[in-house]
Amino acid sequence: MIDPRIYEMFREIGEDLFTAQLISSHGGNLSIRLGDRVIIKRRGAQLGRLKPHDLIETRLDKNDSNVVLASTELLVHRAIYLNTPALAVCHCHPRTAVAFSFSRDELVPIDNEASYLLKKIPVVTEEFASGTPQMANKVAEALKNYKIIMLRGHGSFATGQTLDEAFHWSTCLEESCQMELAAKIINEPFIEYRGMSGSYSQF
Amino acid sequence: MNGWNGKILEIDLTKQTHKESPLDIEMAKQFIGGRGLGARLLWDLVGPDVDPLSPENVLIFTNGPLTATGYQTSNRFSVTTKSPLTGTVLDANSGGYWGMQFKKTGYDVLIVRGKAEKPVWIEIKNSEVTFHDASELWGMRVFALTEKLGQNNNKRNVLCIGPAGENLSRIAAIMNDRERAAARGGPGAVMGSKNLKAIVVEGSTRPEIMDKERYKFLMYETKKLLAASPLTSQALPEFGTVVLMNIMNNIGALATRNHQQTQFEGAEAISGEELTEKYLVKNQSCWACPIGCTRISKTEKVEGEGPEFESTWAFGAQCGIDDLPAIIEVNALCNDLGLDTISAGSTIACAMELSEKGYLDSDLRFGRADQLAPTVEAMAYRRDIGTELADGSLRLATKYGHPELSMTAKGMEMPAYDPRGLQGQGLLYATSNRGGCHMRGNMIGLEVLGLPKLIDRFQVQGKSAFVILNQNSNAAIDSLVICKFTNMGVADEYFARVLGAVTGIPYATGELIKVGERVWNLERLYNNREGFTSKNDSLPPRLLTEAPTDGPSKGWVSQLEPMLKEYYRTRGWDENGVPTPKKLAELGLENLL
Repeated sequence: MIDPRIYEMFREIGEDLFTAQLISSHGGNLSIRLGDRVIIKRRGAQLGRLKPHDLIETRLDKNDSNVVLASTELLVHRAIYLNTPALAVCHCHPRTAVAFSFSRDELVPIDNEASYLLKKIPVVTEEFASGTPQMANKVAEALKNYKIIMLRGHGSFATGQTLDEAFHWSTCLEESCQMELAAKIINEPFIEYRGMSGSYSQF
Repeated sequence: MNGWNGKILEIDLTKQTHKESPLDIEMAKQFIGGRGLGARLLWDLVGPDVDPLSPENVLIFTNGPLTATGYQTSNRFSVTTKSPLTGTVLDANSGGYWGMQFKKTGYDVLIVRGKAEKPVWIEIKNSEVTFHDASELWGMRVFALTEKLGQNNNKRNVLCIGPAGENLSRIAAIMNDRERAAARGGPGAVMGSKNLKAIVVEGSTRPEIMDKERYKFLMYETKKLLAASPLTSQALPEFGTVVLMNIMNNIGALATRNHQQTQFEGAEAISGEELTEKYLVKNQSCWACPIGCTRISKTEKVEGEGPEFESTWAFGAQCGIDDLPAIIEVNALCNDLGLDTISAGSTIACAMELSEKGYLDSDLRFGRADQLAPTVEAMAYRRDIGTELADGSLRLATKYGHPELSMTAKGMEMPAYDPRGLQGQGLLYATSNRGGCHMRGNMIGLEVLGLPKLIDRFQVQGKSAFVILNQNSNAAIDSLVICKFTNMGVADEYFARVLGAVTGIPYATGELIKVGERVWNLERLYNNREGFTSKNDSLPPRLLTEAPTDGPSKGWVSQLEPMLKEYYRTRGWDENGVPTPKKLAELGLENLL
């Protein structure tokens, strides 16, 4: 039995992800870690319209029968929990950030908030960029040192102590990329306003 | 070597000798410094056969690789020993200047063992160690002694005990830089049992930094983040830690009258706002700290540091007292006598309840501000009623047949946050390796302040994961050793990177937290070796069975049992709370058993 308070957290963040256009109708997934258990979105459920039965509890370290119901990205969520201190994972498809990931190996924000909060977002490449052990390992490895990373051409994976926190990093990334895109469209010389900004790419 | 000095100083008080030995760098990589390194060394040095107040117990003073580098709040030190209050592993850490100066002597660790035949004090000037006769200093209070031994904040720093430590009060503190305290668990009594009155340090060595450019950038970013956080740039500088008084009271989680209630009608009168408006002279900082949470307060009788939130609570709400000048004055008195304010206040509160219920023949009563100072004096000198109070509330309440009235976990008095209104905080107290403590992981950030994000304070399922992550993170920060308040504005990922920049050894954020987990499990192993079991992971019965009858926490008791089961499982321990071989192997601790 999943605590109604936990369901409510998933429902709110899921709805917000869809409203913010960070996922398609059935895309993205959310999970939290409860000790040696993981609660994750049901495969095929709409994040924006989660029902209590759309949350699946399964083991962290090995499969049980519930894995047949869990999100196809369970593998990567597990790898993240096993390799980082994360207690929550938010995976979504922030479209501007994905667009930048086609041509860049890292995203270094130029706006104030993301400079403060994220510093740098590495872009990870994997040919089979969905649900494979190779992809899971690469994403988890990158998240050892960054709270949010991009999987090239696919989407972002963000970690936090809470879903709220991981969601925050996700929206922050997309907002930052939209600002950079707007600045590119304006196409005027960038005036640096931050101290030691050259060091962000070293973060 | 970068960050670490690479040297341990060992002092034998019985023989009045000292020697230098190299720091095991592999051990340092695994445990970093401070609390972690102290726990690892204690594991080898002090076994279960050792009485905490015997010459065989040791005091292990440690700094960390960041200490004295100038990184924000890199001023602290840690002291590790077997606690005379709880019998558990104990580390207490303290800010100010002494830790920075100790690092500058060229040592990472100072181990003090044995017992001097007569009182001594030790002077360490770089690698020069001198034993001085302290016969004439024995009996002196902390403020006068600190001045006499030549305290000079940036050049020469004094660490000492007061009369409470000399008289082996099991809640005696080690004081440094006049009013900073490594207080909890009675380390001052261990120092007193060794006839060691003071340790004075002077040094000129500055730690080497491997990647200066990266370090400079991370310092710069930390400065920005601390300035951007309203907690570290506004609330703490303006109101000090007492800013929490009204917040905790408003949510019904302010333990009151020995935890008989969860709200105090006099909270406003002892709040941070009241302290700032009427008694604050100025705020002050430890070395290399931009936050400045220290209060300099003044009443008609005293002027000095403090009081902190926990001290104000312990002598205030916990004793049913709303007289702020009296609290400021008794806080200063504790500093001068060398007593832990949390344990002192909560022990007096316990005595007040025992007396009001007729179990103890004394005139102590809730609300009697006039009784605070005389009782604290009596505790430090073991006079009259103070003789029994000097060893903490559990021994007192047990003697009078009512141990359930001691508000302790593993024998250590709990701080202000009432577990009935904060489920995670209750689990944290129950599982803390040094006993009821808010500095071994703090759920106030998550359950009250929304740091990093707010979670439901009454939620039970899944709470253990937050508690464990906080405990591990705090153990890592205590091993660095820096101030936990930086963590209110700066995340662990910065600390990992700073550690890497200073030492040249890359630490991913997850690896730093893993160090914390290793330290936590080692401390647990130590306590298990001392005979502690899952039965000791408990809270006073009052918190498990007596729900508040009004206020925002009405109807709630601590749901410890289900949280504890989940906690053990999540920790990778067996159902008896013992780390499994698999977990120990994962943490590189398998060879300790």
